[in-house]
Amino acid sequence: MGRSFEEKSVWIQLVCMILGLGTYFIFAGNMISNGVRDMPAFAALFMVATALMVILLVAGIIVAAVASKPEGRDERDRLIAWRSEHNSSWVMAVGVFGAVTCMVLGIDNVWTANLLLLSLGLSEVLGFVLRLVYYRRGV
Amino acid sequence: MAQSKAVIRNQIRVMRFANGEMTQQDLADRIGVSRQTVNAIEAAKYFPSLEVAFRISRAFNKPLDEVFQCQFTK
Repeated sequence: MGRSFEEKSVWIQLVCMILGLGTYFIFAGNMISNGVRDMPAFAALFMVATALMVILLVAGIIVAAVASKPEGRDERDRLIAWRSEHNSSWVMAVGVFGAVTCMVLGIDNVWTANLLLLSLGLSEVLGFVLRLVYYRRGV
Repeated sequence: MAQSKAVIRNQIRVMRFANGEMTQQDLADRIGVSRQTVNAIEAAKYFPSLEVAFRISRAFNKPLDEVFQCQFTK
């Protein structure tokens, strides 16, 4: 069974998210291990990683749209999107709970912010993976 | 309350071939979904909404229960 445009775009979003987040956390990990603790440095890095992600995403979607005609979402695509979001949002909830705990314990803001970002990213990655699983195995 | 399990089957593939070898894309265009969704419905990997089920039965000009069958097992 060939992949629909929606499924292809999920693959593209997953790859872009992993590349963008991976780039950010490799550099952020190096900065933290070298003792960098000022938030503006992390914010600048985050913006560069986000820009990289957006550029890759736009290029990927354009290539996919040229390669196969976008059909638009149907009810199966909407159900898969809803179910994957429903089953991946707990990762974000755990991250928010962890971040609140960090704040209560007075842990450095850099750790709190990065924990939030990590949980957001992992939640999205899990959501994309679940969507691909549902497309292949059925809902 | 213990519920019996429903096994839903369909005759879409058979009916497509009986209707002038209609392709999945032709049926998809008629009922307003993607070809991949028609494929998933045929393979019982996705169960369509009532609206799409009625659209499929109308595309074949058959009653709904000739297109989809449901068996309840313990």
